[in-house]
Amino acid sequence: MSFENLLSFLGLLTVIAPALLVMIFFVAFLWDYRLHEQTIGKMIQSVIAISLISAMAAAAIMVVRQIAHYPIEVGDWVITPSYHLRFEFVLDFLSLSYVILTLVLCATIAAFSTRYLHHESGYNRFFVLFSIFMLGMVTAALSDTVETMFAGWEMVGLSSVLLIAFFQERPSPPRNGFRVWVVYRVGDAALMLAAILMHEINGAGDFDHLTGNNAWPAHDPLLIGPHFTLLGVLFIVAAACKSALVPFSSWLPRAMEGPTPSSAIFYGALSVHLGVFLLLRVSPVLDSSPWLSVALVVLGLVTSAVAYLSGRVQSDIKSALALASLTQVGLIVAEIGCGFRYLPLFHLLGHACLRTLQFLRAPSLLHDHHQLEDAIGSRPRAKKAEWEQRLPKDAQVWLYRFSLERGYLDNCLEKYIARPFAKIFLRIDAMEQTLAAWLNGDQDESTDQTTKRKPH
Amino acid sequence: MNLLSLYLLDVTLILPLVGAVVVAFIKAPADAFRCCFGFVVVTFVCGCGASLEYLSVPNDVIRNDDIFAIDNLTAPMIPMLAMLHLLTLMGTAKSHVTISFCMRLLLAEFINLSIVSSHSRSIIVGLLLFSIVLPAWDLFSRGMRLRGYLLYMTAFALLLIAGWRMSENSTSVFAVGLLLIALLIRGGILPLHGWQPPLFQRASLGTSMLYVLSLVEVLAVIRLVLPHASVGMLQVGGAACLATAVYCGALAVVQNNVRRFYAHLCLSQTSLVLFAIMAATPSSLTAALCLWMSTIVSLGGLGFAIRSLEARFGELSLSNYHGHYNQVPGLAICFFTTGLAAVGFPGTIGFIPMELLISSSMTQGLAISLALALAAMLNALAIMRAYFALFTGRKPTTSVSLQVSPIERAGIVIITLLVFLGGWFSPSVVESRHRVAEELLQHHLNGREVRDADVGLMQAAEIDRRTQVLRRWRQPAPRPPFRRDLNELVSPQELLEGLLIL
Repeated sequence: MSFENLLSFLGLLTVIAPALLVMIFFVAFLWDYRLHEQTIGKMIQSVIAISLISAMAAAAIMVVRQIAHYPIEVGDWVITPSYHLRFEFVLDFLSLSYVILTLVLCATIAAFSTRYLHHESGYNRFFVLFSIFMLGMVTAALSDTVETMFAGWEMVGLSSVLLIAFFQERPSPPRNGFRVWVVYRVGDAALMLAAILMHEINGAGDFDHLTGNNAWPAHDPLLIGPHFTLLGVLFIVAAACKSALVPFSSWLPRAMEGPTPSSAIFYGALSVHLGVFLLLRVSPVLDSSPWLSVALVVLGLVTSAVAYLSGRVQSDIKSALALASLTQVGLIVAEIGCGFRYLPLFHLLGHACLRTLQFLRAPSLLHDHHQLEDAIGSRPRAKKAEWEQRLPKDAQVWLYRFSLERGYLDNCLEKYIARPFAKIFLRIDAMEQTLAAWLNGDQDESTDQTTKRKPH
Repeated sequence: MNLLSLYLLDVTLILPLVGAVVVAFIKAPADAFRCCFGFVVVTFVCGCGASLEYLSVPNDVIRNDDIFAIDNLTAPMIPMLAMLHLLTLMGTAKSHVTISFCMRLLLAEFINLSIVSSHSRSIIVGLLLFSIVLPAWDLFSRGMRLRGYLLYMTAFALLLIAGWRMSENSTSVFAVGLLLIALLIRGGILPLHGWQPPLFQRASLGTSMLYVLSLVEVLAVIRLVLPHASVGMLQVGGAACLATAVYCGALAVVQNNVRRFYAHLCLSQTSLVLFAIMAATPSSLTAALCLWMSTIVSLGGLGFAIRSLEARFGELSLSNYHGHYNQVPGLAICFFTTGLAAVGFPGTIGFIPMELLISSSMTQGLAISLALALAAMLNALAIMRAYFALFTGRKPTTSVSLQVSPIERAGIVIITLLVFLGGWFSPSVVESRHRVAEELLQHHLNGREVRDADVGLMQAAEIDRRTQVLRRWRQPAPRPPFRRDLNELVSPQELLEGLLIL
């Protein structure tokens, strides 16, 4: 076997192993067969081990052979003269770094979760969603076409939302899950439009076309023009939705409704960085226009500032960690806007690892704090920052309320978008029902109630 | 009698009709259900056989007697529609089966399969008119008022008959316009959609599904309107369809009644198919034909899940959380996967059609693509909201087991397999739909060329443009260029315009 074939094999095995796991769960569902906890745990660990070893072996071969960029063509899925959908993966510094990070953190979380969720009623459901998430992340990380990225992106979004609603007997997790889904769908629509625009511009959705014949992070100097600016705007919107940048930041604390392991991996480590990863992957497009870079810097810094302020006044540890995470994500985005490529990547890798450990430590940290409080007989006092003390009293109060309301972003979205939308269409619906009742000649009958109706 | 001498297509068409007659003589509903099930299963098998027979014979049309025939367009649709009827029956709780429901289902199967396989304009028109009777019968048998439904359907029937009669002699724009408006009423396109949500609310869900989801109006548009329609007419129709997709998607998000939610979702999705047909470009037609199939599977599966839930829990509201996941997890997964397939989630049967549709719309402007993406987004929001409302929340206590029955389990397995395997086999389906789209577009161009002498040079130029598109399209699929010259792609003015529209 030549080393090219070996690289292709290893690259594909990295994706196929999680795909196989999802397939096993699917077949089990079709057969109505309930897998045991131990079986699931072993399967998850084996799959992650296979995938991780493959990715690391591929990375080692590339380092030894000094290959910076190795595309793996899976094949053309659909070809028409006007549209062509190709699945292709790429092994390069960016993709391998992110996929190895993904698998390492997934292994940690899987090991933690098998104990943490032991005998939990939703154990199977958690690991089904976890495996879909892992497949999505690996697919997105290794993708070399925007369609492959989109497939992974959607899987990550779906599994995230369903895990937020994991404790589904309470009303607030599904409610918050739905809010997150709304933001994700905006991002998905932006990414889909970007994919199609990319096809129109390049004739294909390959990221290779953005970097010329060079490896990431090089870019082709021909990528200049208003169409690339539009493409960049769509990518930024998609990334902003996924990474909770302003004005879409409000969903991140809401996402903490899920179990701790999912919060750790999704919103502390991987999912929240997927938007940043997208920006790094399409960085040649961002380089095409200085306005895009400026927008990214502003977006990143504003996000960072809002998240920092909001995080200062949180009373629960998971929300505080989520907002701390967002502060760093904002800084990483600003770094990308400043034209750095390796710095944000290393920042991302380090931050993801740190935050995962913090999230996993969060439940036991609370226990430690209780012990500490018992020992000293009171609550440890939080120190105010120096600059906060120098502010006038009114400004402090205003800033406190601003932080407590998380920059009023949630309120604004609800007041100016969600409520008017619901109000308008509910009114239209009522009018339609009145018209239908009038046409049927049953005005006196309540139109919303279909009384005396048999179910079938 | 040598059964092999009969064409499978004939058997496929006759069986439901015979079944309806046989069921009419049965007294017990349980026996009627068994008999109906037998006929529907055999019809499905024969439909598959007919399609396979067609695929094994390299002819354009397997029979050409100008009445019923199977061709490239209809070959996959016959088993697909037969399966929709089978799934509808499988989703019907035995306790709710009536003899009249079985008869209506078999008659609906006969009508829908006959419309799809008919090549005669008059037969298509006659069957479309006959199909109006079944929902009316259902509403009447349930003691519901018919006036609203009949008002819309009378308008549909009158316009259809007038358009058909006028287009028999000459294919004038007016006649084709009447046909188009009639079919837009049948498809529930804005602002003529008012009959569909009340029908879903008042009639049985099974009957409504079969009337709406078979999407026979798509075939009628292809057979009756597309060959003679002018570009402007199709553009107006397409705009109405697109507006319907967005408007009904938005209404689906705010519904508090599960049937109205489903009705608006169906309206939004089916209007996307009609929109793609009316765009009349090779890629949009391909998208339409693929979307037709995926819509039947996905919305049929969603309807199956809703019917099974209603059979257990009665009327369902979306204004609170019901918590049915723990009782019927299989139905929850069925509901969710089919819902995702309807909005084109990757890996499902709906992914490629939605991608093709939005991609094909790029040539018409960014605003159109944006509207399509918006419609897909709204539908996805509606589905997730409904899923959370139905399946999350505090688990209700029941004294009896509400687990799915074996027949429902089989239905869930079939639907789930179709949703995911359909996604895997999309490439070959797209390829075959390409060929059909090419034929249809050629037919459309021929129809326009006949009228070319009368309509002047402007339309001739349009035909030239479309012929060029077709010629380019017929060339073997080239490998996409590494990078096209940027100026060749889009002019700066066009890009500026696109940005402004966005």
